[in-house]
Amino acid sequence: MSSSEAEAEADRRDFLGKITTGAMAVGLLASYGTFAGYAVRYLYPAGDIRTAWLFVTRTETLDLGGSLDFKTPGGAPVVVARKGPGETAGDFLALSSTCPHLGCQVHWEAQNNQFFCPCHNGTFDANGVGTGGPPKGQELLRYALRVTDGLLYIEVPIESITIAAGLARPGHDACLGSRGTV
Amino acid sequence: MAIRAWLKERVPVSGDDLRALTNEPVPKHLKRWWFCLGGTPAYLFVVQIITGILLAFNYQPSPSTAYESVRYITEEASFGWYLRSIHKWAATFMVAAVILHQMRVFFTGGYRKPRELNWVIGMFLLLCTLMVGFTGYSLVFEQLSYWGATVGGNITESVPLIGPFLKRMMLGGDAYNERTLSRFFILHAAILPTLMVLLLVIHVAFLRLHGVTEFEDPDEKDGDSKTFNFWPDHVMTELKIGLVLMILLSALATIFPAAMGPQADPLTTPEVIKPEWFFYVTFRWLKLFPGTAAVLSMGFIVFVMFLWPFIDGFIRRRRPKSEISVYVGIVAVLVIITLTVWEALVAH
Ligand code: HEM
Ligand code: FES
Repeated sequence: MSSSEAEAEADRRDFLGKITTGAMAVGLLASYGTFAGYAVRYLYPAGDIRTAWLFVTRTETLDLGGSLDFKTPGGAPVVVARKGPGETAGDFLALSSTCPHLGCQVHWEAQNNQFFCPCHNGTFDANGVGTGGPPKGQELLRYALRVTDGLLYIEVPIESITIAAGLARPGHDACLGSRGTV
Repeated sequence: MAIRAWLKERVPVSGDDLRALTNEPVPKHLKRWWFCLGGTPAYLFVVQIITGILLAFNYQPSPSTAYESVRYITEEASFGWYLRSIHKWAATFMVAAVILHQMRVFFTGGYRKPRELNWVIGMFLLLCTLMVGFTGYSLVFEQLSYWGATVGGNITESVPLIGPFLKRMMLGGDAYNERTLSRFFILHAAILPTLMVLLLVIHVAFLRLHGVTEFEDPDEKDGDSKTFNFWPDHVMTELKIGLVLMILLSALATIFPAAMGPQADPLTTPEVIKPEWFFYVTFRWLKLFPGTAAVLSMGFIVFVMFLWPFIDGFIRRRRPKSEISVYVGIVAVLVIITLTVWEALVAH
């Protein structure tokens, strides 16, 4: 082997060595990347909130301007009101009590004739239109409604989280003691 | 001695190496306590890890069990109230110490060239500390825990582009659900503390590489030594701080033990609701500005804080005598104090 041939041979080995190292690095990175992708996919929650259509009332029972209180299976209050004289879903309105700002629960303040959100002082009029605070100009969230054969239906979430019932402990109740035997 | 020789062979470290490692000369001004504010959060971090691991033995992260398990810790487990209260008070102190440490660094210009990157690491540590605090309060599953997490999730959602993705990652769904608490717990007790340990290692490595900023001390007489030894002198100072902290924490835990608010109720937001004091600033900010504007402006402020050493460097290259950073700092501190006091004083 001449010296230039030996040099070419060394170059070739060097080149091949670099290629293999590079290929291994790419392979390793790709496998780590794939793993990271799987991990993110695993952590990203599947599916949306489950909802169902529930019966609210017969449309004829709601007069123009009238409203009724409805509760979702999870217990969240919904104000259902009639806005128009017709028999379509557009003639009704179902206001959620969830604040459009950052999701706290509003409550009705009869003395001020408004809904109030205690989180950041948002206020809403009776139609759910934001009148003050950060959600000014936004509206309370609305649930989808449907009218079929004079029956009003609402689409609401049916899941809710299970929370420990009151922490009352069994056994002697000091408050009952003073009332004597029951 | 035989044992010594035996050890020496198996642990080949010489006393001289150790001395060189720990005898880092420390500038004289570190005798003053406010220069030790960096060591304070580090000390409290260890307190949090120890008490946190103990709490985790009895804590059960799920909506149906969390509140009851914290009640068990507080009312039934022996010294549970003590550990929980120490964990809570040390968390408060830790946030306060991190903020004070950062103010000290800011006003003494300790972030300037070549220490810019350590300020950036410090900013990450500040954010981690706030996030550990936030996730920690969410664990108790009282009203504040639930509504804080809900509001936090929706703030995240209002970040442009990636917001909705981040919110679902954070809550494990579109809204607070059965799996949310375990996410918060893992973040609180595993991911964030691990991240903080890594950041702290880099933080201290930078500190050793650059040394603490030195000053002209006006009280100093000529001929005084400008430095003292890390070991044992500085360690002694830190130990004294540790002792005072332990006494303070124990006293506070005993006099003002951690209580429990009403259990979370997804159907009613309480009439008066407030986060912990270190979020009063953001809370007031959210009330002052509409949704996205509030979130984006806060993001911008944090961004500027991250880049401040470089912004300051840019200004000082143009106007070397500029004291603008001091004025910016004073305004920032005044705004923070005003918003915090305002929020503390009013119900809504
Ligand atoms: C790194 C600094 C840490 C901070 C600032 C911090 C902060 C907090 C806060 C503010 C709470 C709520 C306290 C309450 O109201 O009772 C909490 C609760 C809790 N933390 Fe931490 N924590 C830290 C580290 C850890 C670690 C490392 C663990 C476990 C390995 C842990 C485990 C827990 C547990 C189980 C609870 C719930 C029980 C309770 O409410 O007392 N924490 N934490
Ligand atoms: S969540 Fe209702 S005002 Fe902010």
